[in-house]
Amino acid sequence: MTIAASDIKSRPVYQPLRPDAMASRHWLVLEAAAQGPDGCQALAQAFAPLAPALRVWSIGPLTLGSLPVTVLADTAALAAALAQAGPFRVSDRLYVQGTEPFIWSVASLAAASGLAPEQLLLSHAGSLRRRVWCTHCHGLTEGVTTGTVPCTGCGRQLLVRDHFSRRHGAFMGVMVDAEVPGQRPAVQELFP
Amino acid sequence: MIVSSLKLRVATVDDIAPTLRHLRLEAADGSALPPTGAGAHVLLNLPGASRVHRNAYSLTNPPGTRSGYDIIVRRVPASRGGSAAVHERIKVGDLLDAQTPGNLFAPVRGARHHLMIAGGIGITPFLSYLQDADVRQTGATLNLCCRESEQDVFRPWLPAGADMHFHWDADGHRLDIAALLAGQPAGTHLYVCGPGELNEAVLRAAEAAGWPASQVHTEHFGAASTGGKAFEAVLRKSGLRLQVAEDESLLEAIERAGVAAPCLCRGGACGVCVTAVLEGEPEHHDHYLGADDKSAGRLIMPCVSRARSPQLVLDL
Repeated sequence: MTIAASDIKSRPVYQPLRPDAMASRHWLVLEAAAQGPDGCQALAQAFAPLAPALRVWSIGPLTLGSLPVTVLADTAALAAALAQAGPFRVSDRLYVQGTEPFIWSVASLAAASGLAPEQLLLSHAGSLRRRVWCTHCHGLTEGVTTGTVPCTGCGRQLLVRDHFSRRHGAFMGVMVDAEVPGQRPAVQELFP
Repeated sequence: MIVSSLKLRVATVDDIAPTLRHLRLEAADGSALPPTGAGAHVLLNLPGASRVHRNAYSLTNPPGTRSGYDIIVRRVPASRGGSAAVHERIKVGDLLDAQTPGNLFAPVRGARHHLMIAGGIGITPFLSYLQDADVRQTGATLNLCCRESEQDVFRPWLPAGADMHFHWDADGHRLDIAALLAGQPAGTHLYVCGPGELNEAVLRAAEAAGWPASQVHTEHFGAASTGGKAFEAVLRKSGLRLQVAEDESLLEAIERAGVAAPCLCRGGACGVCVTAVLEGEPEHHDHYLGADDKSAGRLIMPCVSRARSPQLVLDL
């Protein structure tokens, strides 16, 4: 599933994952819940030739052809695995596929390990649900599928905008009824 | 566009090796010079035998110095005139016109390590890198490929304890580029400055070793590729016809005719001198235009590029 086109140029553009032949070591990091059977088959096929230099890490149980998969419980476990796999080299590549909040959480962990943006290949799969960053309290609201949402930080009703922050891995949320309190659009599911 | 100019006085002339001359330049009026960062260069007007040569030289003084600029110039046998001028004609007290320094080769501030490869006099930008406190705190390694006899020539510009490795052309001493580039830690930035063959070899090796392109930086010597076959340039707007000689660049011919053409690096790197080609086929030597622009042949960088056809018509 692809994310709908937006006029906002700051939004990341995702491509299907393809191995980088110039790199020397490869990590494929997947969010199991976001993967479909066809996608898994395509990934298994594309990455099988790298097997000797490839590690596959999955948040949640996953089968990827005959490739060995290390299952990790959550992103905290992933952070620990990344720390253990380091120090990374300039020739390493990290391929990440999952929902947008997931891939940007991994990207932020990878950046902290010193990996450059070009060493990260990000691909979207699964739900379009968004992480929303509140411009008022700076709190994060996870798993947002609707066009407006109450902020888990301050309780304001937020309009979910298309402006995306790579640093937060989140979309901007602004108070929807700041002008006329109580005047809000109907809650619509926009990011299933 | 940087056009502001400086008047510099030669304060010191000092031969540090048979073919290497160090110049200390100060403001002619004794004032403080604009401070520069690591990797900066200055464009000097040098009096040649028959005309003025405009050459860019890296500044080797510590970043931020305002009392004077240091440059080191190699005497090149096939000199276009700039290095010959420095080695034969320049003396203490001479006044030189210069442009306010620019910087097309600054160290990247977010780097986790700086890995430098220099070929011979290509060490000059790195002499300022190694005198930059931030670069040294991040961590920096310099690999210098030079004549065995010139290892100690640059000592006065190198801080004590700098991580330096010398390589020269003898068994057991050559630089193994592939081995050096393999396994470097993530976040390392690579800088190369040397003759074209060394630069190309390092860029190729970095690509083959999976280096992200944004972490590989190069500065080419401008002087190497400006000569070539003579041709005619027609400046449509000025209505001038110029003969570009074998030993001068198109930009130099344009300047000789009195047309003020914008320029900054004079080495095909910065893109400031880009000019539209109306007729004729350019021969590209720059590192600025992309492959598409080069094959389209509608743009040219007059500082390094020439003509494949007998004539070029330019929108100048």
